Amino acid sequence: MGNVQLSHVSKRYGNVQVITDLSLEVEDGSFTALLGPSGCGKSTLLRMIAGLEEITAGQCFIDGAEVTDTAPAKRGVAMVFQSYALYPHLTVRQNIAFSLSIAGAKKELQNARVAEVSRMLQLDQLLDRRPAQLSGGQRQRVAIGRALVRDPQVFLFDEPLSNLDAMLRVQMRLELAKLHQDVRTTMIYVTHDQVEAMTLADKIVVLDKGRISQQGTPLELYNRPANKFVAAFIGSPAMNFLKAHVAGKQGNDVSLTLPGDRTATIASRGGNLSESEIEIGVRPEHLRLGQPGNGAAFDGEVRIVEQLGNSTLVYVDTPAGQLIVEGEGNLQVEPDEKVGVVLDAQHAHLFGSDAQVI
Amino acid sequence: MTAATDTAPIAATMSPRQYRTIKALDIGGLIATIVTVLGGICWAFPLYWGVITTLKPEEDVVKPGFQPWPEHFTLDAYTHVIFGTRIGQWYVNSLVTAISVTIIVVIISALAGYSISQLKFPGRRLLWWMILASFMIPVPALIVNHFVLMSQFHLINTWLGVILPQLVYGPVTVIIYKQFFDSVPKEFREAAKIDGANEFQLFFRLYLPMNWGITTALAIITFIGAWNQFLWPFLVATEEPMFNVTVGITQVTDAFGVKYARDLGSAMLAGLPVAIVYLIFQRRVTQAIMLTAGIKG
Repeated sequence: MGNVQLSHVSKRYGNVQVITDLSLEVEDGSFTALLGPSGCGKSTLLRMIAGLEEITAGQCFIDGAEVTDTAPAKRGVAMVFQSYALYPHLTVRQNIAFSLSIAGAKKELQNARVAEVSRMLQLDQLLDRRPAQLSGGQRQRVAIGRALVRDPQVFLFDEPLSNLDAMLRVQMRLELAKLHQDVRTTMIYVTHDQVEAMTLADKIVVLDKGRISQQGTPLELYNRPANKFVAAFIGSPAMNFLKAHVAGKQGNDVSLTLPGDRTATIASRGGNLSESEIEIGVRPEHLRLGQPGNGAAFDGEVRIVEQLGNSTLVYVDTPAGQLIVEGEGNLQVEPDEKVGVVLDAQHAHLFGSDAQVI
Repeated sequence: MTAATDTAPIAATMSPRQYRTIKALDIGGLIATIVTVLGGICWAFPLYWGVITTLKPEEDVVKPGFQPWPEHFTLDAYTHVIFGTRIGQWYVNSLVTAISVTIIVVIISALAGYSISQLKFPGRRLLWWMILASFMIPVPALIVNHFVLMSQFHLINTWLGVILPQLVYGPVTVIIYKQFFDSVPKEFREAAKIDGANEFQLFFRLYLPMNWGITTALAIITFIGAWNQFLWPFLVATEEPMFNVTVGITQVTDAFGVKYARDLGSAMLAGLPVAIVYLIFQRRVTQAIMLTAGIKG
């Protein structure tokens, strides 16, 4: 069992409040990603779980036992650092066996565990090398091996792939996913890369200024963002936001007057609608190009076209500002072309002035 | 284009080989090399003169005129120093005290540097400022206190008496260790903490081996410093059998006046271990000197 529970935890450095009254439950065997921009407190939260940072207020439980004031080594956690933190004077074998050696384990046991882990991570051929003689991906695998050898209840990853190049990152992402499938141990993974979080995690916790902004499965966060911050942070290219005037409401359907005086009807999620000015959020793939005129939500002029092969990103200047439209890979459109932008109202979101979804 | 046109007539009067040589000549580098070589000769000449003098008979040494190469070679000076004095005993004294000082200074400095750098305890900052402040106190100012202390502890004319006061001579080693331990990324410490390492394991298995080069460099320079100590061993050892080699060589005198070859011979023998240490660990010594210079600067 390796469930992690944080109950009303706070972290303060002097006058700076980094984490504010945060409660979180990480289920046993799950892969949970802590996602957020730089400075949102995600690494601090991970370090609090690891025991590397004191918890100013609140409690931390691992496997049901309170570990708020327990030393890092006694929490049953293993951590993989962004910089890998491989001891440069030790070989791969010694690095992996370090925790066992510290614990005074017999040489035979150390060798057996190192062999097991190195086989799993394909490090067998590298055991006598030093970290300086390894590539970035290999170092990453050694760091994971060092965590794995401890047989922890919880794995903690602090942006482990951010030092790797794009191709290697994809490869290591797959290896991590496979590792989780194999060991089924609880993993908590800190990242600012939403693609990593979406592809690896079965639960994402989005943090903003030390508070949980939203938590849920990757698709929940993508399809039903709870607020503008999550809506903007998840998804690439980012969601389009535009102001609209509320013309009327029937049930959950809100009639809106768009910039440029055309209208649209978008379903709210049943939230309280008390303002006349609200914000619409729509992802680039939920906009499409059409003929200018009344059939479109906006008329506009193409500014930039980005051909990505599998899709085309079109930046269109409209009365609502510049909107990004994602079309098919073979979309034929030229800069300065007059186009209409059609909005898929079923996939649009409404946000109030408090940036919460309506 | 202009340069090529200007040099063309000159090039035409030379053979291709001469032209290539002239072209490849680095005038600035040549001047720098000549100056450096001259400087080297000026520095090395007294050493050469000293060695040559020890290999001359005493009467040739005092003979008027410049004699850069001995007419007659002899090892009389060395045989006299080796067999006619207590230099063997002085060597033992120097070795014991210098090695002891080196080992103790390195261990204490590494531990002090580690604790100030990595541990959090009350008075840490005060301790650090005290170590920095100890730079301001010249060692000779402490000599009288040291002598009184050693005398009260009945350690005059003992190895311990020679060793103990020298342990406080080098706050620089503590400062260097602290700086190097400070520069170790904190992730190493945190990873080891999660792995279950305690402070001693962190120190002996991580911080010390990761800074092994610094330890070697500091050990060598401490040894050289301790071997070359004169003032304190001269004061604390008043009996000839307890002399260090640096003090002992001042006793190589003769009833009939100064014997230059013998005096220089004893000086050569006294400096030999340091020269050997330097030759073996040249790179480390240079590194250590640069480190200490960096701190002092």
